[in-house]
Amino acid sequence: MPGLRWIRFNSFRQKRKPGDFGAEIEAHLQLEKDRLREEGLNDEDAGGAARLAFGNVTHAQERLYESGRRLWWDHFWQDIRYALRMLRKNPGFTIVAVLTLALGIGANTAIFSVIESVLFRPLPFSNPDQILRVYSTQNGNRVDAPGGPSPMDMRDFAQSNHSFEKMAVYDTWRKNVSFASGENRPEQMRVGLVPGAYFEILDVKPIMGRVFTEDESWVGKNYVAAISAQVWTNRFARDREILGRKIYINDEPYTIVAVMPNVIPEWMDQDSTNGDHSAVQIWTPFGFADALGDLWTEAGRRGRGWYSLGRIKSGVSMEQAQGDLATLAAGLAAEHPADRGIGVALEKLSDSRASNMRPMLLLLMGAVTLILLIACVNLANLLLARNSVRERELAMRAALGAMRGRLVCQLLAETLLLSIIGGAVGLLLALLGVASLSKMRPELMPQLASLGVNWRVLLFTIGASLMTSLIFGLGPAAAGARLNLVETLKLGSRSGTAGSGAQRMRNVLVVTEVAMSLMLLVGASLLIQSVARLEHQPLGIRQDHLMKGHFYLPGVRYPNPSAITRFCDQFADRLRATPGIVEATVTTIFPPTNGWKQMLGIPEHPASRIQDIPSAEFGLTDAHFLKTFGIPLIRGRNFSETDNATTPPVALISQELERMYYSTEDAIGRRIHIGPPQLLQIPPGAIITDSADVTIVGVIGNFRNNGLAAPPEPQIIVLYSQHPLVNYGFKDVVVRAASDPHALTPEITRELHTLDSDMPFAQVKTIDELIEQQAGSHRFTTALLALFAAAGLMLATVGIYGVVSFLVAQRKRELAIRVAVGASVAEVLWLVLKQGLQMALVGASIGLVGVWAAQKLLNGLLFGISAVDPVTFAAAAGFLLSVVMMACWVPARRASRVDPCVALRAE
Amino acid sequence: MSTQEQDNRLELLQGTLDLLILRTLIFGSQHGQGIARAILQTSDEELLVEHGALYPALQRLEERGLISAKWGISTNNRKARFYSLTPVGRKQLVKETTKWNRLTAAIGRILESEEV
Repeated sequence: MPGLRWIRFNSFRQKRKPGDFGAEIEAHLQLEKDRLREEGLNDEDAGGAARLAFGNVTHAQERLYESGRRLWWDHFWQDIRYALRMLRKNPGFTIVAVLTLALGIGANTAIFSVIESVLFRPLPFSNPDQILRVYSTQNGNRVDAPGGPSPMDMRDFAQSNHSFEKMAVYDTWRKNVSFASGENRPEQMRVGLVPGAYFEILDVKPIMGRVFTEDESWVGKNYVAAISAQVWTNRFARDREILGRKIYINDEPYTIVAVMPNVIPEWMDQDSTNGDHSAVQIWTPFGFADALGDLWTEAGRRGRGWYSLGRIKSGVSMEQAQGDLATLAAGLAAEHPADRGIGVALEKLSDSRASNMRPMLLLLMGAVTLILLIACVNLANLLLARNSVRERELAMRAALGAMRGRLVCQLLAETLLLSIIGGAVGLLLALLGVASLSKMRPELMPQLASLGVNWRVLLFTIGASLMTSLIFGLGPAAAGARLNLVETLKLGSRSGTAGSGAQRMRNVLVVTEVAMSLMLLVGASLLIQSVARLEHQPLGIRQDHLMKGHFYLPGVRYPNPSAITRFCDQFADRLRATPGIVEATVTTIFPPTNGWKQMLGIPEHPASRIQDIPSAEFGLTDAHFLKTFGIPLIRGRNFSETDNATTPPVALISQELERMYYSTEDAIGRRIHIGPPQLLQIPPGAIITDSADVTIVGVIGNFRNNGLAAPPEPQIIVLYSQHPLVNYGFKDVVVRAASDPHALTPEITRELHTLDSDMPFAQVKTIDELIEQQAGSHRFTTALLALFAAAGLMLATVGIYGVVSFLVAQRKRELAIRVAVGASVAEVLWLVLKQGLQMALVGASIGLVGVWAAQKLLNGLLFGISAVDPVTFAAAAGFLLSVVMMACWVPARRASRVDPCVALRAE
Repeated sequence: MSTQEQDNRLELLQGTLDLLILRTLIFGSQHGQGIARAILQTSDEELLVEHGALYPALQRLEERGLISAKWGISTNNRKARFYSLTPVGRKQLVKETTKWNRLTAAIGRILESEEV
């Protein structure tokens, strides 16, 4: 080990080398011999006498050597070298121990790093715990995401409450943005429509300029914009003269009044309903000059489900604020019909992050903790097993005069060395794990972009495994103090058993291991089954070769609904004429998520209470919707090209809607009112299509419109050409291709640009991709959990194998005697298997009870399968038992082949 | 293994070897064997130093900075490690000598009075 010697030599340069002592002693002996010869002795006698006078040369040399250096340092290196030798000599033990440690440390560090960054890292705002989300509730449930109150309600809250410093509603829209007039094609970007209070609540101060004033929220005064530092850098090269310049949003000029720092985390304003995960980089005031009409009227109270923020005053608790707002909400409900039955709920902004991932992450956290526990148990087992063998060695050393301290030091060195190597490999695993985690699903967890290994977590996991190895690694050394040398040596020569205490301990550890890995196994297989069911959920459409894309017709160039209709019809016609495209439709909806719920007035289903008012998923399409998606027409007729703005408005309803509201009579030909019924006394002409009475012409098959996991909601579809009030500029186009739909993107974009060269084509995705994305977070967690289950199973197998083969090795003599007196191979085999089977059975039962206890946590994550699915339970337990049996089989076979003569002689 | 049986010499008291080494070196630098010889001769062959014990003592003194050492050539042309007193060693010698004298005087008084 030249490296070690180099270190030693350099750090003790001032000390003498052992050779130097030798030379000096040699010189002494020579001088003494010379002297004695002078006195008349002959050569031989002189040498002898000199040596005699000197005493024990080796002893002197040792004493010289020991006085010359720090002994502990030497002993330390000696121990390390010895430990390395031991580890090298038992590669099986070393590899298993190191891998066990590395797996436990690596997996935990990676997962906990992710969880810390996603769930627990403090928000980058001042006093982040004061920042809350405000939600409207109906019948105790939050209204549609993002779930905030209507601007009018929020305004009243903000004016009358005593708990908040500031409150705000805001929104994000995809808009066509260009940074220079006429120069380049605009891009679709998500634009934040926010009041100045948004920034004030977050306490984010502009790098330059000012936040929006209250005045600027009024339509007409809202043509100002704030840009992020990133846009400022990428688009304007950090131009110091940026304020006052104009950008074009939906073809309208907005004056830049502020540059905001890049501190607002991306997850905050994510749009989870349509899977839009791009960051908001541009903000304009919360005022609308768009077709939605004016928010600041009484009619606007009904429009809920905005983004919301509030900052409570310092010293005010969340409960106080909740009580305060609840009183106000009750007042509003009494005063305004639109607010009847509407409550309010608060949530810390920090708790709202990763809200849909939270249960998954917590499950992963539990799973990975089990892995760490299994790893520790395994390590404990390994060390126990090995040390009971070494008790003899230690006793021997003690008998030869080794001090107890040195024995402890030596075991300590081995344990430390194992932990360090395991920790290093674990760190490597953690780095790899974190890197691949953040690469795998960046859009699901945007915070992961800034993810690194969390050092505190790493230290904790290494600490935990170190503790384990210290406790179980030093056990025999501690026992060694009390060791009766003669007894141990005698016992050792017979069987090597470390006594029944250690054996019981090992059995308990194996049982624990089996229990924990069974829990992992059951959890993972339940999740795998539910993901499979989720992904193969029949959607109610023909899913293949479908692709969708988003475009937006800005109000400036498309000022009226008929212009929008004309554009969309032309676009769809051109696409249908394009080779490779089988069918095309322009629509606001596509499975599996719809996202626009509408109250309905159904004369056949009168409602007197707000809870009883019929409602359905609502969509605006053209006449090609059914054909493009392959949704079956059950009865009646489809939309036709002849249904247009001048003919009576018609509608298609799903079977589910018919079942819910038309159970006895045939729905075809019935009239239905889209919008809240008369009892709510909403003045007409407000946001939604209040005056739209439509006639049902057809009943269509159900399709998934509320996500993959939920059953189809009632659905009503109308033609956008017949509903000018809600014929907005944002539309999606869906095409069915003859072959790979992605290949058609350039064609579709070209057709779009033929009609309008300034129109961006965005969010292009196949339906398969959408589904995968929806199932993605499940799939991601499931994959991880499956990985953990596999790791846990592997660890447990290794642990059980280790213990059983150890037992066999110890019982070799006994087994040999049994064979000698006539036991059959099968009998010996069974003897060993029985021992493993007992432990496995006890462990498996405990594990099943554990899953039973954890079913509450699991149930929320499962789809189409019960958390206590008996088949899964039985299969997992059976699988685990067979793996355990295999782990026992190898040593059992070895035992059954014991040649009694050899075994007995060897002892 | 000791030389006791062949000689009737005195064994050194614990801790006195250091003092003797320092005292011997006052006449100039000397190697280990020379020091051993010098102690034997100066004490009229009464004191015996086990040569092997001399070297750890030298090593100790060197570490404490009381003596310094370097390799050189002996009078009969042999390589040897020569030790010499450092200024600190000189001071230490004076201190230890005074202490020793007081100690032996005191012990001497007690022993003489016993004798009477």
